[in-house]
Amino acid sequence: MFRMLGPSDARIAAADRIAKAVLWVLTVLAVVATAGVLLLAAGGARASTLVPMKPQDAAGGTLLLKSNANGETFAVPLLATDVEIRVSGMVARAAVRQRFRNPHADWYEGTYVFPLPENAAVDRLRMRIGDRLVEGEIRERQAAKAAYERAKQSGQRATLLEQERPNIFTSSVANIGPGEEIEVELEYQQRLRYEQARYSLRFPMVVGPRYIPGTPDAALLGTGWAPGTDQVPDAARITPPVLRPRADVVLNPVTLRVTLDAGVPLAAVESAYHPVRVRETGPSRREVVLEGEAYATRDFELAWTVTPDRAPRVAFFTERRGERHYGLLMVMPPAGERVSARLPREVIFVIDTSGSMHGASILQAKEALELAVLGLGPRDRFNVIEFNSVASMLFTDARAAAPETTAIAVRWIRALKAQGGTEMAAAVKLALNARESPDRVRQVIFLTDGAVGNEDPLFRLIAERLGDSRLFTVGIGSAPNSHFMTKAAQTGRGTFTYIGRPDEVKQKMGELFAKLESPVLKDVRIEWPGGAQVESWPKRLPDLYLGEPVVVTAALARAEGEIVVSGTLGDVPWRAAVPVTAAAEGSGMGVLWARDKIAALMDSLRENAPEPEIRAAVVDLALTHHLVTKYTSLVAVDRAPARPDGAALKEAALPTNLPDGWTYDAVFGELPRGATDARFNLLLGALLLLAATLAFGMRRRFAS
Amino acid sequence: MRRAILPDPDVALGVECALPVAQGLFSDRDRRSQWVHRVATVLAAALLAGGLWQFGQGVYIHAKAGLAQALMGRAWARALDGERQVKPWPWADTWPVARLLVPGRKVDLFVLAGADGRAIAFGPGHVFGTPLPGEAGNSVIGGHRDTHLAFLRELEPGVEIVVERPDGARRRYRVETTEVVDKRDVWVLENEGPTRLTLVTCYPFDALRAGGPLRYVVTALALDGSS
Repeated sequence: MFRMLGPSDARIAAADRIAKAVLWVLTVLAVVATAGVLLLAAGGARASTLVPMKPQDAAGGTLLLKSNANGETFAVPLLATDVEIRVSGMVARAAVRQRFRNPHADWYEGTYVFPLPENAAVDRLRMRIGDRLVEGEIRERQAAKAAYERAKQSGQRATLLEQERPNIFTSSVANIGPGEEIEVELEYQQRLRYEQARYSLRFPMVVGPRYIPGTPDAALLGTGWAPGTDQVPDAARITPPVLRPRADVVLNPVTLRVTLDAGVPLAAVESAYHPVRVRETGPSRREVVLEGEAYATRDFELAWTVTPDRAPRVAFFTERRGERHYGLLMVMPPAGERVSARLPREVIFVIDTSGSMHGASILQAKEALELAVLGLGPRDRFNVIEFNSVASMLFTDARAAAPETTAIAVRWIRALKAQGGTEMAAAVKLALNARESPDRVRQVIFLTDGAVGNEDPLFRLIAERLGDSRLFTVGIGSAPNSHFMTKAAQTGRGTFTYIGRPDEVKQKMGELFAKLESPVLKDVRIEWPGGAQVESWPKRLPDLYLGEPVVVTAALARAEGEIVVSGTLGDVPWRAAVPVTAAAEGSGMGVLWARDKIAALMDSLRENAPEPEIRAAVVDLALTHHLVTKYTSLVAVDRAPARPDGAALKEAALPTNLPDGWTYDAVFGELPRGATDARFNLLLGALLLLAATLAFGMRRRFAS
Repeated sequence: MRRAILPDPDVALGVECALPVAQGLFSDRDRRSQWVHRVATVLAAALLAGGLWQFGQGVYIHAKAGLAQALMGRAWARALDGERQVKPWPWADTWPVARLLVPGRKVDLFVLAGADGRAIAFGPGHVFGTPLPGEAGNSVIGGHRDTHLAFLRELEPGVEIVVERPDGARRRYRVETTEVVDKRDVWVLENEGPTRLTLVTCYPFDALRAGGPLRYVVTALALDGSS
């Protein structure tokens, strides 16, 4: 090809260069656009739920699960749990045995996420292989994890017990051989709830699926069904796979035995949610066992009352460990008179209408709410907030509880439906506004199952915005999040109630109203005997509602003198004295004290205490008292290698049941998908073909 | 216009090779050009392959949607003859459970058992657990907004829909409402209330990609006196 030389040629050359540049830019753009679209495509395809295969596929007691995401099936080890709880007075000691059985031909690692009471002090772990026992050691969490991983890689049997939340734990068992069973036994100590001469013991059995707010982060994937988000970075650790309920498959059978020694003659013993067999072994003793088959699908609750005139009003237990005496003190203040001329109230009801509440829970919550609204006095003002993916208020501002207003509220409540997400922060913001006004009492009543993963940010929010309001939680359903219920109530300076059955609504709400209307014991203080060098927890004692006792744990240098408890009930000062020498011998008081101190330290994190210091203090305490915490784990490693070098190890996250009364589809379910990527494919195809054309053009240009 | 044919009087006549010859036989520019040439070739081939693949995918989805419905006709005829759960092709894991017609709109579709992704590639799918189309209660049918159920956007209240059951009986419905809901609004699936047909597809209709959170729901109430 020949061309003229000259000034116009310079123009041509310039045009040529521009054309080339444009080609380059277009090609790069096309490639970038294509890459972007492809990335988008990759990001869109996640989410998997578990669908068990048909029973005939899962013959021989094995359970095969099918992952929706890729259609592959996989097997998991099976789990059975045996629980033994010994109650003496106000304290329970429980042994939980988890039997991991591997019916398959491969070697397995099983991971199980399970709940324990929110105040459980877990201090022992043992691994049983056949008739051999391996005792667990307490280590810093990372060190324990590393020891476990090393054992897992080298084929040794090992168990790791970690805490995800005060009431959620994970047990991992590595190298379960084909056809083998490994038993994990953990023990914990717990203080029981004692209110109005009634004790209650709760043993949670299943972690309900939690709503995970925030933006998912693909780097935070794990074995859970939810990836971590900016708000809940450890979401993958608290969202174990959930089995879609079906008639012929229930997982995780449970046996449970309670040996009860109340210390004083018992009046009534009842199990609220499970059929039990009660055997009387003495006036103050009972043996309680679950009757029939039970599975880990709902919380167990045992409650007992003692003969009214023998109900303890003061109790002090001590235990000597080395130089120190550890003590648990309980003092029951008298019930105050109901005041007739009280301040007008402003009551804000908040009801959770998220998908997890669908089914039995929302019915109980609505009934409780309706009862509460109709129970308001004419001088009271009120408002109702519902929340799921969004929060909305019935009235723009609180209104007087006149009959026509409550009628509107009741109609509104009856029409509520449970569906969608659980954006609880939005509801807290609507309910609490940090305002203070001395001419009224403001009470926020929060009805929820607490099925969220972002507890800490919510507690922070409650503390920030509380003002002079008081927050009362009502835990609804078969598996409420006890950590949320207790800590939100503590932060909100109120109290908590559980409703787990429709026929409990009336009684439980009645008790709550009595608390709301009775004078509160304020300015509670404890004076320890001089020179005793006492460290007691909690440091700041909460206000106490009707029927609630003062409870503290303390470490004392010397066990002598007199403890004085005082406070103001309504306007009346109250005072009680307890001689230290009257203390009864108790066991495990040191562990309870350490657990209380750890809880207080963890709470201080929300008040912006420096994390490294708190962490060091918690680790120190936990290592001394052998306790599992957020920063420490128990690990047990069997020295003998088990898995041969050539054999592969499969990993499996053990699925949990859906809590009783929940609706799978309301939590995970959705309407059928109704779109293809055809349009996207066609566009992407066209883009790529265009880019190809451009690339060909460029090739030819440079070929000439 | 080629300018090189006539000499320009203002400049000296000169000849230039298209590849500007500089100092050496192969200049830096040459090497770069060769490199660019090679890269462009590979890139062009890769892009062509990718483009054809993606384009093919798009065409395949529509072809599958169309062809499957055609094959379903025979299976339906056998179903009408009393055979149960007739698979339209031997390896199918679904079968037609009803026929959906909109008189005067060229809509004649076979509804398949199950509304999971695999079934609705071949036709609108009946959601398991809801009453079969034509029976009492709330029968829910899901389908793709860009293939079988694309016609939903044109349905207005008052339009009649006819459902043929495997026993040949027909039931008429009239569109009552059309609404946009979130995919988690599972109340759409509830069975309480009058006998109706609930057609669910993705929304918006013109979205490029699948997997959005919104659904377009058409509710059609059964008319009495259906035969």
